Amino acid sequence: MSQIFDHLSIGFDVAFSWMNLLVAALGAFLGTLVGVLPGLGPINGVAMLIPIAYALNLPPETALILLAAVYVGAEYGGRISAILINVPGEASAIMTTLDGYPLARKGLSNVALSLSGWSAFCGALVSTIGVIILAPLLASWALAFGPAEYFVLIVFAFCCLTSLLGNQPVKGTLSAMLGLAIATVGVDANSGVYRYTFDSVHLFDGIDFVVVVIALFAIAELLELLESAIRGESPEVPPNERKLFNLKELLFTKWTVLRSAVLGFFIGVLPGAGASVASAVAYSNEKRYQEGRDPNACFGQGDLRGVTAPEAASTASAVGSFVPMLTLGVPGSGTTAVMMGALTLYNITPGPVLFDTKPELVWGLVASLFIANVLLFLMNIPMVRVFSKVLSLPNWLLVPGILCISYIGVYAINAGTFDLTMAAFLGLIGYLLRKGGVPMAPMVLGVVLGDMMEQNLRRALSITNGELHILWDSPIALGLWIVSLAIVIVPPILRRRAKRRLSAAAAAALEGEE
Amino acid sequence: MSDRTLGFCALFFAGLMAWFGHDLQAPFSYEPVGPRAFPMLIAGIIALCGAWLVFKHWHERHHGEHIDWPRLLLMVVYIVGYALLFETLGFVIATALATVLIGRLFGGGWVRMIVGGVVMGVLFFLLFDRMLDVVLPLGPLEFLS
Repeated sequence: MSQIFDHLSIGFDVAFSWMNLLVAALGAFLGTLVGVLPGLGPINGVAMLIPIAYALNLPPETALILLAAVYVGAEYGGRISAILINVPGEASAIMTTLDGYPLARKGLSNVALSLSGWSAFCGALVSTIGVIILAPLLASWALAFGPAEYFVLIVFAFCCLTSLLGNQPVKGTLSAMLGLAIATVGVDANSGVYRYTFDSVHLFDGIDFVVVVIALFAIAELLELLESAIRGESPEVPPNERKLFNLKELLFTKWTVLRSAVLGFFIGVLPGAGASVASAVAYSNEKRYQEGRDPNACFGQGDLRGVTAPEAASTASAVGSFVPMLTLGVPGSGTTAVMMGALTLYNITPGPVLFDTKPELVWGLVASLFIANVLLFLMNIPMVRVFSKVLSLPNWLLVPGILCISYIGVYAINAGTFDLTMAAFLGLIGYLLRKGGVPMAPMVLGVVLGDMMEQNLRRALSITNGELHILWDSPIALGLWIVSLAIVIVPPILRRRAKRRLSAAAAAALEGEE
Repeated sequence: MSDRTLGFCALFFAGLMAWFGHDLQAPFSYEPVGPRAFPMLIAGIIALCGAWLVFKHWHERHHGEHIDWPRLLLMVVYIVGYALLFETLGFVIATALATVLIGRLFGGGWVRMIVGGVVMGVLFFLLFDRMLDVVLPLGPLEFLS
């Protein structure tokens, strides 16, 4: 118990340095701006800021705090456009549009916004407590992992991510493998053999992680913006009666918030499952639960609980997804995969040892995540109008601006045009793959984990001199194999069963809107 | 891109990986698994995914999302050109040029774009190079520094 307070005091000491507070506030602000824009989510914001944070020579914990604040800020921004104009700013806000926009049409937009902010804050609180309790336990457990267990753990992370992402696991697998393929480029650390470098000096060190991330999440995104000019349809939101939710509404939703936050935290802790999964599960869970016992429930037509459930869950899972990254070194979502790549720029390998070697980084990050959520809650209610102005920023200014900032970041790594051309090329490939329905997150995970996966596989096989049985001999490894297999097999079956029910519900929701 | 095209591309890529990786041998080896095994494993799985995509959709005629090729190619030319000229023309000029051309593609007017491009180039240069110490190339404008 006293240890928990030690950790907390380390964390808040780091987070309350004026530099880190400032950075957290700035990150939260920038993140919200990025999040409000439809199509640009947390992963894009973090991707664009990594090279810049690195080029600015920020110390690692400050850089991580900046990126984490951007992450939660973008989650906040996503809900602003979801509620005000019915366009989700990013994937995890899709569920928020279902009840958020109807509430805005009823003249309750400020109530919905502030209450969703409050739910997110509660989600962060619950999740922070969860991290403080669970992370050290998981880290000490992870110390028992050998190379074989690590290899299987990474397989498990890929299984989680690809099976939860969509209904075409083949494309998710393909994406992950392409990421692993990118990671093999460069000199092989064990044997000194150059792989796929084609005698180009620029490729000897491999393709820089930042180049891949900028290509997939900035340049490919811009190419996609070419056709989708979603700008806010004039929001027909009637004037607001109140600025803030009242006590009655707070009490009305308290159990929904708590339930969804706990659920979101555990979904976030699973490697691979991110905020969009958490918000979808929490919303449908709450809808089913409430409709069974409350005759006045009006999910899909502006029920406050329909806004609080996904918001509490998505923030809780965003915070929770740091647990596997920090404790096991295996990211819990696409965005944390990007952040883990950022840490490797600083030669920091996340994993169980981090808790002993760099406690200020781990606990500083946890404390900052919490502070960023407090700041966002306070900042967003008075500033909603300011942020929604971003929606009127025209594409002809936005697109060159994003490209320019991305190029500055890529250029800053090696000060050469090779990386820029590489980013442009990979961006085009990424765009074409997206058009073919291939998700991008597994690819980033592949690039980040590729080296670790191969090294652990080779190390494990060295122990047994090439005998494969070491990969499933230990109970931990065997257990992870079984869970991985279950995760791949069970959801498609459940999805097929739920599909009919869900499509009926979605049709009903759409009808209610029109 | 339709699933079948995607599948063929994956098969092609796996072939390339196998072709360029088949002779990856360590001159001295201390371990049972060399530098070749992992890339070959990945190439194998990519090929499996590709084959699955090709054969599962063999009879289907549906295509993926529509792509506006002329505008896309123009945009790609601008993005690549911006990358290649980033150092030669220097950050300010290259950015102004790229902003004008890309902005035109997204429906901005000439006057607006020229003003916007010059402002963006100069502003970002001052912000990043001068204020934040991220070194950017000046190109022909070197004499100003």
